Amino acid sequence: MKFINANTCCWKHAIGEDGPKPDPDPAPNRLLTLEQWHAVKDRWPADLKVAIEFPNDADIHELAPDLHRIAMVVLDFPKWTDGRAYSQAHLLRIRHHFAGAIRARGEVLVDMMQLLARTGFDEALLRGDQSQAAAQKALDLFAPVGFYQGDVAESRPWFLRQTAA
Amino acid sequence: MATGGRAPLTMYQYTDFDRRFVHQRAAQYRDQLERHLAGQLGTDEFRALRLQNGWYIQRHAPMLRVAVPYGELSSRQLRQLAKIAREYDVVTEGPFKGQGGYGHFTTRQNLQYNWIPLDKSADVMDLLADVDMHGIQTSGNCIRNITSDAFAGIAPDEIVDPRPYCEILRQWSTLHPEFAHLPRKFKIAVSGAEEDRAAIGWHDIGLQLKKNAAGEIGFQVLVGGGMGRTPIPGVEINAFVPWQQILVYIEAIVRCYNLAGRRDNLYKARIKILVKAEGQKFFDAVNEEFARILADDPSGHEQIIPQAELDRVKASFVDPAGVKAIAPAQLDSSDPVFARWLQRNVHGHRLSGYRAVTLSLKRVGIPPGDTDADVMDTAAALADRFSQGELRVTHRQNLVLPWVKESELADLFVAARAAGFATSNAGLLTDQIACPGGDYCALANARSLPLAAEIAERYQDPDELESLGEIDLHISGCINSCGHHHSGHIGILGVDKDGAEWYQLTLGGSDGSTLSGTTTPGKVIGPSFAADEIADAIDAVIETFKRERTQGEHFIDAVRRLGLDPFKTAANAVRVSTAKAQA
Repeated sequence: MKFINANTCCWKHAIGEDGPKPDPDPAPNRLLTLEQWHAVKDRWPADLKVAIEFPNDADIHELAPDLHRIAMVVLDFPKWTDGRAYSQAHLLRIRHHFAGAIRARGEVLVDMMQLLARTGFDEALLRGDQSQAAAQKALDLFAPVGFYQGDVAESRPWFLRQTAA
Repeated sequence: MATGGRAPLTMYQYTDFDRRFVHQRAAQYRDQLERHLAGQLGTDEFRALRLQNGWYIQRHAPMLRVAVPYGELSSRQLRQLAKIAREYDVVTEGPFKGQGGYGHFTTRQNLQYNWIPLDKSADVMDLLADVDMHGIQTSGNCIRNITSDAFAGIAPDEIVDPRPYCEILRQWSTLHPEFAHLPRKFKIAVSGAEEDRAAIGWHDIGLQLKKNAAGEIGFQVLVGGGMGRTPIPGVEINAFVPWQQILVYIEAIVRCYNLAGRRDNLYKARIKILVKAEGQKFFDAVNEEFARILADDPSGHEQIIPQAELDRVKASFVDPAGVKAIAPAQLDSSDPVFARWLQRNVHGHRLSGYRAVTLSLKRVGIPPGDTDADVMDTAAALADRFSQGELRVTHRQNLVLPWVKESELADLFVAARAAGFATSNAGLLTDQIACPGGDYCALANARSLPLAAEIAERYQDPDELESLGEIDLHISGCINSCGHHHSGHIGILGVDKDGAEWYQLTLGGSDGSTLSGTTTPGKVIGPSFAADEIADAIDAVIETFKRERTQGEHFIDAVRRLGLDPFKTAANAVRVSTAKAQA
């Protein structure tokens, strides 16, 4: 898991003088909302990769045709107990073979790390008061044991791993 | 006879992996608790974490719900539960000093403690892990402990033993990363018999094991059942899912629910609301997702249960060593008290010469399902002496000994009677289901236990009880419906009116059993009754039944035949406080 500092992160919103631009011009390292992407994708250069902020109540399958143009999908946790983005990440990785980055933002807490890693997230923008050291510890906690069911990181359930061992 | 030590061979045998897993989970919880106590983990954030380990904060103290997966318990585990009750469920100071020392068996086959201090909670998780137990996902908005038929594996009417499938489902659902924060709690029940003793129609997912014409095993899948403030019976979404694919099918259901279930309103967040709102559209979405997992996901085939895994798990559920069909014993039932116990609390068994026996936890003066440490130890000793060291927790909040030789029933009766387990009321009016209610639960509007006690006291005459026949009386202290009032032939719901306790009375509910008929919620008979009226109102309902019933007619059948009116009229006649309140 890569822990992201929002200030130093290379992906930047397209902000104008009056807030987010509705239809930003193409530029490298653009972090676009889904609405912005819809507005610009038809004229966006094919070889210029973007990052998209995807809301957790939209249908993630809609993104499938565009995934080859997307370097990163940022999924949202408006509340940390709202678990929709776990399913979105799983579908991006497993169903749509998305190989770019998947970042968690919003109320991202230490005790979500295991769930994030196992559903395909590889970047986390921790909420400001969260300890990165504690997050790393939470990630490592079950490593010596493993889990029952398959996940994005290890697709085989325990029952297949143990017979293979 | 089994000895106390190891779990008997009729239960799932933890592997080294299972054991390391529950210990690791306990260590994870200890870390979270310590961060919370050190002020590094806020109350709200700790809440969702402790809930997924079974820890609520109740009215007076934390409550711990311990999972008893599909209701199977060894004597060794029960002794550990007794030790926890004795040493940890203790109030040493404050207004409740001296309280504690017991657990409460629930309708979902779990055990709850009411008085363990939070700072000891991590120690208790370690003690549970030592006997292959845990509180994982016994609360919170996740897939809860899976429940089943208390007679699984021994019932004469069994089609397929559900326990291996329950265990595979338990493992699959445990710490599932995608489904840890669903819109709301999610309950799965599995039945493998002709008779549904697990109320599967009242669950978010109800699974009925079946054999098709070719003799292959699969599941009829119901979805969208649930109680709460909007009681809705589950409906069939798939008539037959082959057992190998059941994890994939459930993954499809829960994924669709996780993405589409409502999160804007707590009371509309259960899957039943989504199923009711979308109907066929939801079914189509699930069936398409199921097909896509199998067809498109590279790892889809890895989620199919291999025969080898089923065989591995099944090997834990073979009959205990030395247990095989034997000649039926001749039972001397000349003692009418013994005869009544045989009739009520002794049940059929798949093996000739064996019986299953209910140890009743419905005793006058003791809340339904409550069991103190000594009683737990006594039940464990009875299990060792008479039942291969194994017990079951039932949906009706009793214990069952599953492996009793007919030739030892007379001895068991003597021992059970001496220990207070021989109330011969299984299935009768006083075998009531009740939640802990307002005495303990922070959610409850009204107390359920004093009412349960009053009913138990009023109906003590065994002849009268027997003549009334089977009646499901269910009491919930609030609309969360932990006491399953919706499914009671007589259902009682505690409601709050201006800070006073009132009780709503419903008639004609069904848990989906053969006796009770198609799963359906009961119907309310008029405005709520005051606390000092409700027991009289129940009496009036019972008296009406006695007057109006045909020879041998069951209460539930009489309610269906007569309709609510005669019962309503009789119950209204006892209103005293209500009349005053409304005057």
